Amino acid sequence: MGSVSEFFQHFLNGLTLGGIYALIALGYTMVYGILKFINFAHGDILMVGAYIGLFIFDFLRGDKPLSAWWFVAFMIAMLCSMVFCGLLGMFIEKVAYKPLRKATRLAPLLSAIGVSFVLSNLAAWLFGTQSRKLEYPFDNTPIVIGSGSNAVSITPHQILILVASALMMLILKLFVDKSRMGKAMRATSLDQDTAKLMGIKSDHVISLTFAIGSALAACGGMLIALDFKVYATMGTMVGLKAFVAAVVGGIGNISGAMLGGLLLGLLETFGVALLGIPQGYKDAIAFGVLILILLFKPDGLLGKNEKEKV
Amino acid sequence: MKKAMILVLIMLLAVPSIVLAGGASESAAKTVKVGFIGPMTGDNANYGVLCNQAVKLAFDEINAAGGIDGIQIELITEDSEGTVEKGLSSIEKLSSSDKIVALVGPVFTGVSFAVGERCQDEGLVMITPSATHKDITAIGNCVFRTVASDGLQGEVAGTYFAQELGYKNIAVLYAKNDYSQGLYEGMKASFEACGGKVSVVETCQVGDKDFKTQLTKIKAASPDAIYIPDYTAEMAQILEQASQLGMKIPFISGDGFSNPDIYNLAGDFCNGVVYIGPTQVEQSTAYVDFVNKYDATYGVKPDSFATNAYDAAYIVAQALKSTYEATGKFERAAVRDAVAATKDFAGVAGMINFAENGDLVACQGVYRVNGTVPEYLGAYTVENGQLKKVN
Repeated sequence: MGSVSEFFQHFLNGLTLGGIYALIALGYTMVYGILKFINFAHGDILMVGAYIGLFIFDFLRGDKPLSAWWFVAFMIAMLCSMVFCGLLGMFIEKVAYKPLRKATRLAPLLSAIGVSFVLSNLAAWLFGTQSRKLEYPFDNTPIVIGSGSNAVSITPHQILILVASALMMLILKLFVDKSRMGKAMRATSLDQDTAKLMGIKSDHVISLTFAIGSALAACGGMLIALDFKVYATMGTMVGLKAFVAAVVGGIGNISGAMLGGLLLGLLETFGVALLGIPQGYKDAIAFGVLILILLFKPDGLLGKNEKEKV
Repeated sequence: MKKAMILVLIMLLAVPSIVLAGGASESAAKTVKVGFIGPMTGDNANYGVLCNQAVKLAFDEINAAGGIDGIQIELITEDSEGTVEKGLSSIEKLSSSDKIVALVGPVFTGVSFAVGERCQDEGLVMITPSATHKDITAIGNCVFRTVASDGLQGEVAGTYFAQELGYKNIAVLYAKNDYSQGLYEGMKASFEACGGKVSVVETCQVGDKDFKTQLTKIKAASPDAIYIPDYTAEMAQILEQASQLGMKIPFISGDGFSNPDIYNLAGDFCNGVVYIGPTQVEQSTAYVDFVNKYDATYGVKPDSFATNAYDAAYIVAQALKSTYEATGKFERAAVRDAVAATKDFAGVAGMINFAENGDLVACQGVYRVNGTVPEYLGAYTVENGQLKKVN
């Protein structure tokens, strides 16, 4: 750990890695907030979203060289992918989770793990196991600040990740806190049966929750795939990390997911950079932190008491 | 009672065979026995069968041409099924009851480790056509191979980086597995023997996607180059993210880079990478003749290990011949020495020489990527710590 610029570079690396975790953690935490249910298939819906987006984007851009059209094509691809995954999420909920709603708490959890395996194996079977490249729809030349050995660089993609996750957190928060539908979600979250008595169609609310969560996953999947490539198990590790981030921040809490994600990204980076933990073991840091937080603050950093979660 | 009966039976069966075998080698023998061990049945039978056929083809040719001064070579094949247990009982039979004077095989690395120890104890020369682990020949002076050692790649890499590219200090980013770590250690040993310094060593796991932390640390140390002996998925991420960090340091790699998938994943980021990979085999007429003859005899084409096995069989025959002509008999120690003395043997796979430790003196190809096309810079090997360009 030498110069100030190296420190700053590590900070930027950690922050943007954290942005990726935050982006996915938002989906986890929203579904949990409403249903008190961890959708372990979230990471795999993200993978499906990345594949769908990749295919549409490659189809739209064809052989044309990089231009503004690529960005438009990327946006269209993302929109289609979000709609598709939203529907997929609703379908999965109807088929795999709804029939188990009255069963023990463990049953839907196991069902979710099953869905996760089905999706990733299906993708490996249909699309093969090799990684595919999702081209950047913009010029990703790094922006270099300073010069020589003091230079610090950040790519437009890294900035996009940070902006996207902050923006999504904000929109999601406004939606849940201010909109009528958000109110229905919160009511369903507090007490499904009472909400039903008040005329809230809780089945619809739950469907919508899954649709939004899965659409978020698709969006996150495409943004991550730009850097990490598209492959059948792309959602597994990053999904697990995002889950850790959501728990660290206080699962069910939307701002907490953002905080947890950024914190985890920085911890992983500085654990290696400052403490000299070999990079090969950085995952141990992520899960070590999870254990520590759960020991001292079982509700997570921003977790409130049980009843007010959303 | 039953046990005693069985024991007696075994003794009755075993004694005559020992006497016969012993008698055969002492009198003016009409045959000389060479063993082969390889998986002939089971999941990996294809490797063993292909090699065995090659050895058979070689000995049939030699016998048809009069054998070793009139003495026929008898090939005794034992099936290891690719397991250490079967391999050990095979060598037990071949060595004690068949009294072979040389062994071609085993085919697999794991079996070769176990069988090699036995051969060493028995003073029996063994030539494996396919066991690549670098420590196989470290068993002892009876173990040889006609296949390049994994250790060679790292050695050529380190020497080439230091002597040809003139690097003084390099960084390494390797994955935590046998392949990647083995290449790193081999490269480091020879690079440092040439006076170079590995200044930063960073690791990753296979499957990692984010390498910015390691790269940032490497960047701060500003080495001459970065060695990445990894798989394509990791190398593609490393190359792209290095460019994102504004790094201009050249990358050097290993044979993992010879997989063309790297160009789909990393595209132009591959430009300028230098890597050590397989040599481009020249298709000699001897090689083409061998492939045609093999194909005509067995209806399949030989793989590279079978080609090595064919050469191994001929080296054994040559050693038997020189031993017999010098001493009038086939003593194991003399046969071993004759194999070790093999010099510039013109095999179908190319020129064959053994290093001091029994490794094949082989070479490695060096490539430099121009855009997304690898350019062949030639074949190199290392002799006495000095890089040597072959051909």
